[in-house]
Amino acid sequence: MRLVLLGVLLATGAGVPSAQAQTAQGDVSVTIYNDNLALVQDTRQMAIPAGRSRQEFPDVSGQIRSETVSFAASGTAIVEQNFDYDLLSPSQLMQKAIGQTVTIVRVNPATGAETREAAKILATNGGVVMQIGNRIEVLRDDGLPVRVIFDKVPPNLRARPTLSVTIQSGSAGSRPATLTYLTPGIGWKADYVTLFDEAAGKIDAQGWITLTNTTGTNFTNADVVMVAGTPNFTQADPYNQYNQYRPQPSPVRRAGTESGSRERLGDYYLYPLAERTTIANAQTKQVSFLDVEGAPASKGYEFRVEWGQNMDQPQSAYSVIKFSNSSRAGLGDQLPAGTVRAYMRDARGQPQFIGESAIPHTPMGSELAIRTGEAFDVKVKSTLAKRERILSSEWVRTARMRINSSRTGTEIVTVDQNLQYWRTTMSYTLTNARPVPVTVDLVQAGLDNWYHDTRVPSESVAGVQRSADERLYRVTVPANGEITVTAVFDTRY
Amino acid sequence: MRSVCVVFLALAASTGAAGQQRVLSPRPEAVSVTVYRDPERAADRLLDRDWLGGYALISETRTIDLPAGPSEIRFEGVADSLLPASVIVSGLPQQPAEKNYDARLLSPGGLIDAFLGQQVHIRRTHKKTGRVTESEAIVRSGPNGIVLQTAAGFEALKCSGLSEALLYPKIPDGLSDKPTLSLRTTSAAPARTTVRLSYLATQFDWQANYIAMVNSGGRSLDLFAWLTLANANDASFPEAQTQAVAGTPNREQSDYDPVRSVSPTIQLQCWPSDDTSDIRNPPPYPPPPPAAERDGGDEGESIVVTAARAPAPAMVAAQEDLGDLKLYRIPEPVTVAANAQKQVALLTKNKVPFERVHTLPVDPSETTDGPHPVSIMIRMKNTKARGLGVPLPSGKVAVFETVTGRSMLAGEPQLEDKAVGELVELEIGESPDVTYELTETWEGESNDDGDPFRRYQLRLINARAKSAAVEVALAVPHNVRLTKPSRRLGTKNGYPLWLVTVPANKSIALEYQVEPIRLKNEDDEYED
Repeated sequence: MRLVLLGVLLATGAGVPSAQAQTAQGDVSVTIYNDNLALVQDTRQMAIPAGRSRQEFPDVSGQIRSETVSFAASGTAIVEQNFDYDLLSPSQLMQKAIGQTVTIVRVNPATGAETREAAKILATNGGVVMQIGNRIEVLRDDGLPVRVIFDKVPPNLRARPTLSVTIQSGSAGSRPATLTYLTPGIGWKADYVTLFDEAAGKIDAQGWITLTNTTGTNFTNADVVMVAGTPNFTQADPYNQYNQYRPQPSPVRRAGTESGSRERLGDYYLYPLAERTTIANAQTKQVSFLDVEGAPASKGYEFRVEWGQNMDQPQSAYSVIKFSNSSRAGLGDQLPAGTVRAYMRDARGQPQFIGESAIPHTPMGSELAIRTGEAFDVKVKSTLAKRERILSSEWVRTARMRINSSRTGTEIVTVDQNLQYWRTTMSYTLTNARPVPVTVDLVQAGLDNWYHDTRVPSESVAGVQRSADERLYRVTVPANGEITVTAVFDTRY
Repeated sequence: MRSVCVVFLALAASTGAAGQQRVLSPRPEAVSVTVYRDPERAADRLLDRDWLGGYALISETRTIDLPAGPSEIRFEGVADSLLPASVIVSGLPQQPAEKNYDARLLSPGGLIDAFLGQQVHIRRTHKKTGRVTESEAIVRSGPNGIVLQTAAGFEALKCSGLSEALLYPKIPDGLSDKPTLSLRTTSAAPARTTVRLSYLATQFDWQANYIAMVNSGGRSLDLFAWLTLANANDASFPEAQTQAVAGTPNREQSDYDPVRSVSPTIQLQCWPSDDTSDIRNPPPYPPPPPAAERDGGDEGESIVVTAARAPAPAMVAAQEDLGDLKLYRIPEPVTVAANAQKQVALLTKNKVPFERVHTLPVDPSETTDGPHPVSIMIRMKNTKARGLGVPLPSGKVAVFETVTGRSMLAGEPQLEDKAVGELVELEIGESPDVTYELTETWEGESNDDGDPFRRYQLRLINARAKSAAVEVALAVPHNVRLTKPSRRLGTKNGYPLWLVTVPANKSIALEYQVEPIRLKNEDDEYED
C-alpha cells in the first residue's frame, strides 16, 4: 500500500505530462457574484471559414445557462445558436440504432471462441429485440456473453452538453471570438477571521474571499473579479433563498455613510484578484483582501423577551462583540457579505473559536454587533408577575405615558366603557456569575400588537422605546450578583 | 515510514506546473484539538457516534522548508472533514497569496471523467480459460454509462457479460487521494519556518456525563462527571493538547462545504435488458462500521457503573474562562483517535447537600381520569457554600442510590448549562406512591358581572410511610385567574404555588376556582 502510494506520488511529482493540460478555453475572465452565479467571458482564436459554418465550444461551464450565451467575432453574423444535451450513453446508443444493423460477437463461455453475426435492432422496450438473418431474438436472453459493436455514434449524441454557434462570415481567417455566458456553480462569499482581545478592547481582523467552483469545468488562467452587492438576477438556485431567512437582529446596527477606495460597478464594489489564477473544478479558493490589527472593539450582552414570556429556567444572554468598519476607528473597509468567525486567546495564549455570525454587505462606517453565542454566566429569567384588567378611566389616566404620542395639538379622547384594557407586570431577573460587572441590553418585544398605543405606567429602570414593538432596558448587573427589573405595560390586548 | 518522508522532501525541489516549487508537509509536529458540542443536540440526547454533529478547532504546528521564490505548500494529514473557509495559516514570511482546497478525488468516476476523449486500455479476461485480450479504446462518454470506441467500432463497457476492465496509463493531474489543502506563497530566501495551521472540522462532539451517588442518609451526594469526547473522522490526532468548550457558540447554516459532494461517481448503464438491466457499482464509500452498542442508553449506564466504583481520578480537566464560554483543558496530551470516543474526568465534588421534593406542575383546568404520579426532584444550589460553586456544562446525570448495600439507578435526568449561583433542579422520576387527582366540582356564574367560573379539587395522595413535601405549581393561562384557593398561595416563576406537606399514608384536598380576569383591585386572592 505504502509502495503504491509512493509510486503514485513520484509519478505526479516527476512532471509526467498531464492528461488534462490542454483546454479549448482562450483568454478567460470570470466575474463572480455572491448568489452562486458567474459571468464568464472566453476569447478564443478561431479559424472561421468564409460563408456559413458551425463552431463548437468545448470546455464551457458544465452548468452553462445556454439562454444567456452571446457570441461576438469580427466580420461574422450569427445564424443560430444551439445547446445540445442529448448525451451519449449505452442505452441512447442502442435506442438510436433502431432499424440499423450492428455487429454482435458471441463469445463461447467454454472456449472463448468468437462468432460474429450482423443483427438488425428492431425495438428496445424493456429488452433489445433484434433480427438475425430470418430469426427474431432478444439480446442476451440466455445470459451468455454477447458484445454489441456499433459502427458509429449518431452525430447528435455527445459526451457532454455542447454549445455550438452557426455563423455567417464574410471572409475566411483566424480571429478572436468572444463567448459570454452566465453560469451557476461558481460563487463567492467573504470569510473573516477576528481575534478579539477583551482586556485590551481590540480586535484583529483578516478578510478572505472564498470562492467555490462546482461547475464541473476548470477555468484556466482566468482573470477573476468578484462583485459585492446583490444584482437582481433570476434566482439560479432557489434553495439559496433559504439561507436568507434570519430570525436574529441584523449585525449591522447602524449603516455607514463612508465611501471606500475600491473599484466600483455602479453601487457595487469590485474585488479583482491581483493575478490570474486557475479556478479548478471542485475547488475552494481563498484570497486575502483585508488585514487590520488593533481596531477598537468592545463586548456586550443582549437578550430579547417576547411578549408575556414566563420562563421556568433562566436563559443565557447573547454575547456580542461590537466594532466599527469606519476608516477612523475601525476596520476601514466595506465588508462584503459572509461569515465572521471570532477567536479569543485561552489562558495559554492559543486562539480558540468562540462563535461566528453572518453579516450582510456592510458599507464603510457602519457599527457592527456580532453575536458570537450564548453567555454561560450571564442569564435572564423573565416572569409575568401579574396580569389584570383595568378601568377605562385608568387607561385614560395613563395616556400621558403613551409611548408613541407623536401627534401634537388637541386630541379628543373618546372613552368607551365596553373596551377591555389590560395591565401586565413583568419581572426580569438578570444574573451574572462573572467576576466583573456586565451590562445587558434587555429588550421587551411584542408591544406592537395591532394597537399602537401601549403604555408604560411604571418601570424600575428607565427604558428606551426603540420602536413601537421594542422597549430597551440597559441593565448593569454587578459582579457575581443579580438584579431584578420590573416594568408595567398597559395594553388593549 | 521515515524513508518515505525523505523522498517527499526530496520532491520539494521538483517544479510544479505553474513554475512554482512544491513543498509537502506530511504531518504536524504538534496538534491541539478543541472540541465543541453539537449545538442542535439537546442535553438529554447522548452523542451519536455514527453521526457526530459537533465540531472542533484543530491547531497544528508544522515546520516547513521554504525555497526562495514562489512556492506551493501542500498540507497532508489534516482532518477529512475540514471546513475550507475556516483555514487560518500564520507564521509564513508573507501572507499566502491564495489558499486552495481541491476535492477532485482519485476515484473510478474521477478517472473516467478525466480520461474522456482520451486513450485507455481495455482488458478482457475469459472466465473459463483465463485468456486475456487487451486492446486500445477511447472513452467516448462517462461516467454515467461508459461508451468506448475500439478498433471494431463503438461498444458499451460491461454490457456484454464478459469480464472487462479499463486500464489507465497514468494518474491525471489534479486528482488526489484525499481533498488537498494547499497554499501559494513567496519567500525572499530559502527559510525553515514554523507555521501554525488551524481550521474547523466537523464530525466531533463532546458531552458531560454526570454520576451522582446519593450518600447514606439521603441528604448529600457525591457528584462526578466525565468529559466524553468523540471523533468520527478518519484522522487521528496523536498526543494532542485537548480541550472541550462548554456553552453555545453561534454557528451559521451557510457553513457547509459545497465542493465536497461533486466528485463524479460511475453509474454503469446498459441498454434495456431483461436480465442484466442496469448494472450499478457498489457505493463509493463503505457503509459505517457497525456500532458496538446500538442503544445509547446502555452506553451511558455502562460508563456510570465503572465510574461509581472507581477511586478519585488521577487526571481531571482544568477549567478556565474563554470569554463567555468555559474551556476544559485535559492537562496532559492525549490521543484523539479516529472513530473513537475518549473519557476524562471533568469534575468531582463530594458531599454536596441536596433537597428532595415532590413537584407537580399542573394546568389548573386539566382534570385527570384517575390518580397520576407526581415528579421527584433533586434540588441543589450551585454555590461554594453548598458544596458546588463550579460551572456545570449540560449533560445527563445518572443518580444512584444505595438500597440495602446495592447501588441502584434512581433516575437519569438532564442538566442544562448551569452557572455558579444558579439553582440546579434535576427531575429524577415519578413517584408511584405520591399521586394526585384533579376533578371539576362545580360550574356556575359569578355574582357580579356574569362571568362563568369553575371550581376544582386537587387531591394529593401519599401512600408512603413518610410524609411528602409537594410543590404544586399551577400554570394558569394568561386569560384566566385563580380565585378562592383553600390555602394561601405563593408564587414561583410567575405561577401560583402551593407548598403542601402530605402526612404519611394520608391524602389532602385543595380547592380553587378558575374564572376570567376581572378588574384590578377588585379582589386580590393571592400575592407574593
